[in-house]
Amino acid sequence: MKTEQVEKRGSAKTHEDIFEPKIIAFLCNWCSYAGADLAGTSRIQYSPIVHSVRVSCSSRVDPTYVIKALMMGADGVLIAGCHPGECHYKSGNLLTRRRFMMLKTLLETIGIEPDRLRLEWISASEANKFASVVDDFVKQIKKLGPNEMGEQ
Amino acid sequence: MSGIMYLARSSDPKVLEKAESGGAVTSLLRFLLETGKVDGVVTAKARNGNRYAGVPVLITEPEELIDSAGSLHCSIPNIPRFVKEYLDGAMKMKLAVVGKPCDIRALIELQKREQIDLDNLILIGLNCTGTISPTTAKQMFIDEFKVNPNEVIREDIDEGKLLVMLEDGTTKSLDLMKLEEKGYGRRENCRRCEINIPIFADLACGKWGTEDEEERATFIEACSDKGRLLVEEAIERGFITAERPDKKSIKKREEKDNAEKELAELWKERDFKPILDLDLSKRLEYWLNEFNKCIKCYGCRDACPICFCDHCLLEASRGFLEGGEIPPDTVFPLTRLAHVADSCVNCGQCQDACPMDLPLSKLFSLLNARLNEVFGYMPGIDVDQKQPLSAVIMEELQVEDTFLDISSINKALQSKSSKRD
Repeated sequence: MKTEQVEKRGSAKTHEDIFEPKIIAFLCNWCSYAGADLAGTSRIQYSPIVHSVRVSCSSRVDPTYVIKALMMGADGVLIAGCHPGECHYKSGNLLTRRRFMMLKTLLETIGIEPDRLRLEWISASEANKFASVVDDFVKQIKKLGPNEMGEQ
Repeated sequence: MSGIMYLARSSDPKVLEKAESGGAVTSLLRFLLETGKVDGVVTAKARNGNRYAGVPVLITEPEELIDSAGSLHCSIPNIPRFVKEYLDGAMKMKLAVVGKPCDIRALIELQKREQIDLDNLILIGLNCTGTISPTTAKQMFIDEFKVNPNEVIREDIDEGKLLVMLEDGTTKSLDLMKLEEKGYGRRENCRRCEINIPIFADLACGKWGTEDEEERATFIEACSDKGRLLVEEAIERGFITAERPDKKSIKKREEKDNAEKELAELWKERDFKPILDLDLSKRLEYWLNEFNKCIKCYGCRDACPICFCDHCLLEASRGFLEGGEIPPDTVFPLTRLAHVADSCVNCGQCQDACPMDLPLSKLFSLLNARLNEVFGYMPGIDVDQKQPLSAVIMEELQVEDTFLDISSINKALQSKSSKRD
């Protein structure tokens, strides 16, 4: 909804209410995706504005996918993988973590809020954690406001 | 680690005459070729005698070595790319490679990526305080030195001065810092570079520490067994003569190295601080403005010694980027940044290749400097230290944090291993 439209209606909505962020979530097939699935089948409520992408391992996410998502205007990117020590491929999530550390530094260096990127460990049984992480991340992104790249 | 040091001179008068310092490097190469220890030598040579067009060459005949003697400060040959791309990464031949510290570092990074075979290489590193881009150099010689660039037969950077020697034997020198204030002088990346002595090569050779010698000499530090054996044998066979440097010359070399390092820190601060002082949205705007100049010539990718993928993600055929779109999506420069910034050796080849003058080396070395702090990793120094994005240690399995504190992990590891000892 455009800002002017809201103003015309004379509603007292704040910026944070109007802004519907676009969030891309890369979910590991073996844990987080199953966790999200469980959240769904358990009817746990969480923010519906997250677009999930299932990947075979969180380390399948090339750093450039994150950059591309942000450059195309995504307001936040969530990567979720298995807890350290529980990776289906032993050390995939450890690689993810290192890439995440690199990406955080890279985003800050080129001038994008590093908080737009988040990494979480969510196992297949942690449906509640998935829901709370998503809600918390949405809140965080709403606070940050829209990604400048999306406006261009 | 400090290796065995020598003050060496070539035994060949012809080499001595043309050499930058003691001619020991040229004579060592001759020794390697004549005894068949290597199949070829990779070094830089002035193409058709043009000092501003230095190119990497493969020399297999000892007689041709004399062409490569002496330094070329105003050429920027891409030695590591040459070895990898055109010599098959030395997989099937034994080579001696002469290079600046950044060239050697790139070769070590390529070994980590299994693109070359370091066992087949003898790395002869040269001390370096920076190189000058050929066009800048010519313009500077005309504008500031008031000399004809074609008459310059030698340049040298020493103690903050840039010195040129002309055909008629006269020399002129100007303050380098002042030249650089005006936009002349060394390449940007060289100003910021703090690695002057390549102690990670087999041999680190240079002039520093030989200033007090009556006859010109080459200061050699043998940094590996391979390097030490090479020097010892060359002395035995009479290709070079050598003595041990006294404490005074070793100290002098260290002092010069430290002075250059301090200067590099100043330049880093000067180049990086204005960018880091910008708030995030202004910083993004700055980089986007620069990226908008990109004409997607792939020059940076093709010049980068670290980029090695056979099927680059940035090719239109990969479907990651829209084909034929100019300027390309911002993802284009950023993909390269994400892929190689952790291992950038600050050689500046990307920026030299860029026809649109994007400040690429500034971007890459800025991110690299920050990543060094995060990962405690200095690229191209130690062949056994794997690149931070593809090496994980088992200790990390025990850590739940999503952002590792690598320095504390390393500390814990060290104390563990020292306890075991």
